[in-house]
Amino acid sequence: MFKSSIVGVAALALPLAAAAQVENYAIDPTHTVPYFEVDHLGFATMRGRFDRASGKFSIDHAAKSGSLEIVVETNTVSTGDNDRGSRPRTRDEHLKSADFFNTAEFPQMTFKSTSVHFAGDNPDTVQGNLTLLGVTKPLTLKIVRWKCGPDIRTQGKRYQCGGNATGSFKRSDFGMKYGLPTAIGDEVNLWMSFYGFRQ
Amino acid sequence: MQDLLANPAVQGGVAPLAIALVLSLALRPLKLEGLSLIAAFAGSVYLVSGLDFTPLTSTRKVVVLALAAPVVGLLVDFAFKPTKIGAALIAMAAAGGALWAFWPVLAHKPDNLPWLLGGSAALALAFLGGFALLQLAADSVRAGAAALALGLGAGISSVLSASVLYGTYGIALAAGAGGYLLPQMIMGRKGQGSASFALSFAVTGGLIAAGAMTLAQLPWYCVLVLAVVPVGAMLPVPRNAPVWLQAVIASIYSFVIAGAACALAWPSSQQT
Repeated sequence: MFKSSIVGVAALALPLAAAAQVENYAIDPTHTVPYFEVDHLGFATMRGRFDRASGKFSIDHAAKSGSLEIVVETNTVSTGDNDRGSRPRTRDEHLKSADFFNTAEFPQMTFKSTSVHFAGDNPDTVQGNLTLLGVTKPLTLKIVRWKCGPDIRTQGKRYQCGGNATGSFKRSDFGMKYGLPTAIGDEVNLWMSFYGFRQ
Repeated sequence: MQDLLANPAVQGGVAPLAIALVLSLALRPLKLEGLSLIAAFAGSVYLVSGLDFTPLTSTRKVVVLALAAPVVGLLVDFAFKPTKIGAALIAMAAAGGALWAFWPVLAHKPDNLPWLLGGSAALALAFLGGFALLQLAADSVRAGAAALALGLGAGISSVLSASVLYGTYGIALAAGAGGYLLPQMIMGRKGQGSASFALSFAVTGGLIAAGAMTLAQLPWYCVLVLAVVPVGAMLPVPRNAPVWLQAVIASIYSFVIAGAACALAWPSSQQT
């Protein structure tokens, strides 16, 4: 009787143990910064960033799987040009208009993973869907840097994972066609720093 | 060739002007030259951003409504006579169209901005639609002059408001109006006045201004000033003057109002 009870309890605990291996993280909005770069007039590469992003990710080291969801506030786009001077509008204001990110109508862009692939013990690529301007297209993010450990800012009380990811897409796929093909390039390269705090 | 078609001057100026010129001459025997304007606008839209309609964004709704306006105009031209009741219905439909296009975006604006901006857009479109139908549909020269000034005014003030896309659309509308006016000025004969032309320019021009207000930074009062641009085209012109002179004078009147709208857009742009 006692033996069967132990077996029963163990059987009940097994799924809980498996679930416990999935670690959930909340994105740190102040250190998760998506940057982008795009060709300008065929002469130079212009860079910009979004000042506010949020989201979450999960990781299961044992099963080598995970998920990622990032929400980027498009109205926080910045290329460092926010002083009008003698001009009617700044480049950042132009980027927020219907010509580019159309932030009034589409205040957020999102990335949701569909699968995470590992190289060794660390996540290597994240395949998913980017939704921008109401259009959803596949996008693969390459994790170029990844580390997990205690956060020294909290004397190790908080556990975090962080790193960098890269990717690229064609903006025309999302209907962002202003300035194509010569003034502003179609290919947009992404580079992102990210942090997540274990929940 | 692709580089040429990608040039903004071609997309917003040369191409719509050429399309409107050719079509206004070709359709003149059929008394359908009023359709040349929207064909020119559609040609510009195709070159600038493509004629895609999914997802149905506010800007794409503008294009849908611009394409629908001449269809309604044709019905008026061939099935009905413009009446005050008809004009009131058209005005309400135009206002409803503006809200259909922009309210989903405006509703998310803070405080009382949705009502102020939505009201401005609806009022502007209602006035433009009703006025164009009642006062300008019968006179192709005055309507052409109003369209020229409204397109340029909406286009330039859109550029000043941070949207080159809407600016190009507005200038394309003006180029189309130029292509509609030029044959009349050169031949010295007025064309067939039509509701299809009047509604095309009024609805499209008004929506471009409202779009620049909603999706860029055009002040709401500029939209209202742009809405009265066609009134300038109704000011007196010498009745016996040649057609080209009538067109020039009516255009100048309208340009003054359109210029005022642009001037109002400029100082506001200096405020950060």
